[in-house]
Amino acid sequence: MSKFDPGMETMLDMYIFETNTLLEQLDEILLRTEQNNQFDDEDINEIFRIMHTIKGSSAMMGLDGLSGLAHIIEDMFYIIRENKNISTNIEHLYDLVFKSSDYFKAEMDRILSPDYDESDCSTLKGEIEEYIVQLKGGSVSDKPVHKNADKEKGYQDMGMTTVKVLFDEECKMENLRAFLLVNNIRHECEHIEYEPSDIETNADSAKEIIENGFMLHFIPTNSKEEIFKLIEETVNVESYEEIHSSHDGEQAKVDSGADTESRPAEIDKINNAITNSRAGKQSLISVNLTKLDELHDVVGEIIITESMVTSNPDLRGLDIENFDKAARQLRKLTDTLQDIVMSIRMVPLSGVFQKMNRIVRDMKIKLDKDVDLIIEGGETEVDKSIIDNLNDPLMHLIRNCMDHGIETSEERARTDKDATGKITLSARNASGEVIIVIADDGKGIDVNKVLEKAKKNNMLTKPAEEYTDKELLNLILEPGFSMKDKVTEFSGRGVGMDVVRQNIEKLGGSVNVESTLGEGTSFIVKIPLTLAIIDGMEVAVGESIFTVPISTIRESFKVKSDQIINDTGQGEMIMIRGECYPILRLYNKFNIDTQIKDLEKGILMLVETDDRAICLFVDRLIGEQQVVVKPFPSYLNKFDVKKQGISGCTIMGDGNISLIIDVINLIGTL
Amino acid sequence: MEKYQNEYNTTTGLEEAEKVLTFAVGEQIYGIEIPYVIEIIGIQHITELPNMPNFIKGIMNVRGKIIPVMDIRSRFGKEEIPYDDFTCIIIISVDDDSLGIIVDRVEEVINVTADDIADTPDYKSVNASKYIDYIVDMNGGIKLVLDCRILIETKDVATISED
Repeated sequence: MSKFDPGMETMLDMYIFETNTLLEQLDEILLRTEQNNQFDDEDINEIFRIMHTIKGSSAMMGLDGLSGLAHIIEDMFYIIRENKNISTNIEHLYDLVFKSSDYFKAEMDRILSPDYDESDCSTLKGEIEEYIVQLKGGSVSDKPVHKNADKEKGYQDMGMTTVKVLFDEECKMENLRAFLLVNNIRHECEHIEYEPSDIETNADSAKEIIENGFMLHFIPTNSKEEIFKLIEETVNVESYEEIHSSHDGEQAKVDSGADTESRPAEIDKINNAITNSRAGKQSLISVNLTKLDELHDVVGEIIITESMVTSNPDLRGLDIENFDKAARQLRKLTDTLQDIVMSIRMVPLSGVFQKMNRIVRDMKIKLDKDVDLIIEGGETEVDKSIIDNLNDPLMHLIRNCMDHGIETSEERARTDKDATGKITLSARNASGEVIIVIADDGKGIDVNKVLEKAKKNNMLTKPAEEYTDKELLNLILEPGFSMKDKVTEFSGRGVGMDVVRQNIEKLGGSVNVESTLGEGTSFIVKIPLTLAIIDGMEVAVGESIFTVPISTIRESFKVKSDQIINDTGQGEMIMIRGECYPILRLYNKFNIDTQIKDLEKGILMLVETDDRAICLFVDRLIGEQQVVVKPFPSYLNKFDVKKQGISGCTIMGDGNISLIIDVINLIGTL
Repeated sequence: MEKYQNEYNTTTGLEEAEKVLTFAVGEQIYGIEIPYVIEIIGIQHITELPNMPNFIKGIMNVRGKIIPVMDIRSRFGKEEIPYDDFTCIIIISVDDDSLGIIVDRVEEVINVTADDIADTPDYKSVNASKYIDYIVDMNGGIKLVLDCRILIETKDVATISED
């Protein structure tokens, strides 16, 4: 029996999505601030807000445990927020919050399972409570500096800006000047309050103003900068400063006299912050991914249908200028439409990259290694469907770097390296592909050791001396290969690296290893920008049409039979510019009946993957076309259809299906 | 085989009339429960896939959806015959998995009640007959109602005896 009513499912989806997003934000803040061991106000408020939202929505879903935990964390941060300069065991705080974040995440993962019940988090709660007691105990001596802090807090909670105004010395009748000031700005404020409040009637209030300054609390109609300007323009105002909720001197002090130059910059900054936060909140909506998929499918259909209409056989030979014009216009629009739909599905890699921060942090503690993770190019965007499958391989690679790559601090000291290891995770766009590089500055891979290991595990497929260094390095991506002699919690079982390769190849990408002994190792992951639409070359073999991804084609050409080299067996090869390539007759490979079996009559197409190239023999080329990749129906996976060297199919303009050739697999089947 | 025995017990307990689409393969009439049937279309262009088992004929495009096609004749180990005007493809769907089944001809839709189900407790124990959910004896003919789930989940060729 499920804990939730069926009717709550959409709400539950939303809840999980929202909470996960918040938890990611939380992790990001924690990781960012942990290095400085210091939260600033904004971070604390943000964490506060996150916990508050989780508390509220969890309670709404009837998840009392989760809501309770969120509440107690909120409490903890309330204390921290109110007592800014609390000195306490900050590492412990991070541990607690990370633990809680993990607990929340685990719950989110499980929540959709039918027999879900909240797991017990009372130990965690206990720990936090204990910590809170500790916090409170430690904070007695550090009472807030401002005695009015709480009151100010109240004003700020109401969304009011507090400004402290100081008047020129000796200007006399401060209370009346203050009153003038209030009148000046009153029409620009939705609401205004001030201290002392009896300036009109009580002449003694002038003294108070001289001593403590004149406190203004207001909600601006437009922006507070306008008000600041008005204050500044008022006669006899010597200076004013905005009072923030913080009590530690981070107040944006603005001096009307001397600092006129620095002020606009400050205001700009505030303005930017305001517009940014507004833009961030209002211009984003979250959309269910299945809806996007549907939209994407429909656009694919439109593109196919469009070419069905514009290249309709009925139109052949007709002089239809206006139709052609309209067709071109339509083409332009569908292209734009497609671009937009693709861009909607594009997600920056930074989300996945941020998660790696967390892994590095946890492993740093467990392995007792000091490592910095440097992230570059997180803004690079790839298709959502790729992002989802990128997490695991990247995680494996990072773990691998941490565990095998980076040496211990002592070792690093011995080799004159910086005690802190460095792992660089970078991404960049390169012609329709995204290249992600995971590089460490660790000890590198010893190719001789790899060779030894490979020999021991009988993994060599040719004589050892024929292996190049590059080939040897890539052996570590083979199944069952592990350089570590002992198995650790994180790696060493020989699973992992081959899984990485499999996962990446499933995405249509590739992995390569580069390493210099003593200097470090890089894993270079190449993935396509999108799985959904590719540029393809249509080729005919007998009755069948195949699509070869343009990105894999190097050239197509006709041959003379004297260029063909026959080896001792059935194999045929061709020499192009001093290099020999095997020829694969596609009709043979796919058992297709065709008239064209003479190499001179058909056409050869040189296709390549990262490390190998072959020539495909096809009947003829049809033309280049953008195609919408459709995966094979899942039913066919039972028959290993993908192992045959075709990765998917696409619907052509005439409604027929063309099979997309998977060059990597095709070469693999040789 | 005990598993199928159990299934048999539960599925034959038809409480209400079930609609079954019947079709012919040679002389034998088979049936598929209507809820599994998406649509029936005439034979159309099928794109062959390389190196598939004999009974997988390939894939076809039905209004933008790619659907695999299986010839039920070769699936049941019968000799294939050329397709003609009567040849139909019945598209079935089980848990979002679609499959087109090529049959000799489509017959009719019948209403099956519990009384119509032939009392043949032992046939499920024969491995080759595991595709058969139950047997209907009505209108003077025996109709073998297929278990679509098993049809779509298994990949081996099997023979169904026509006795």
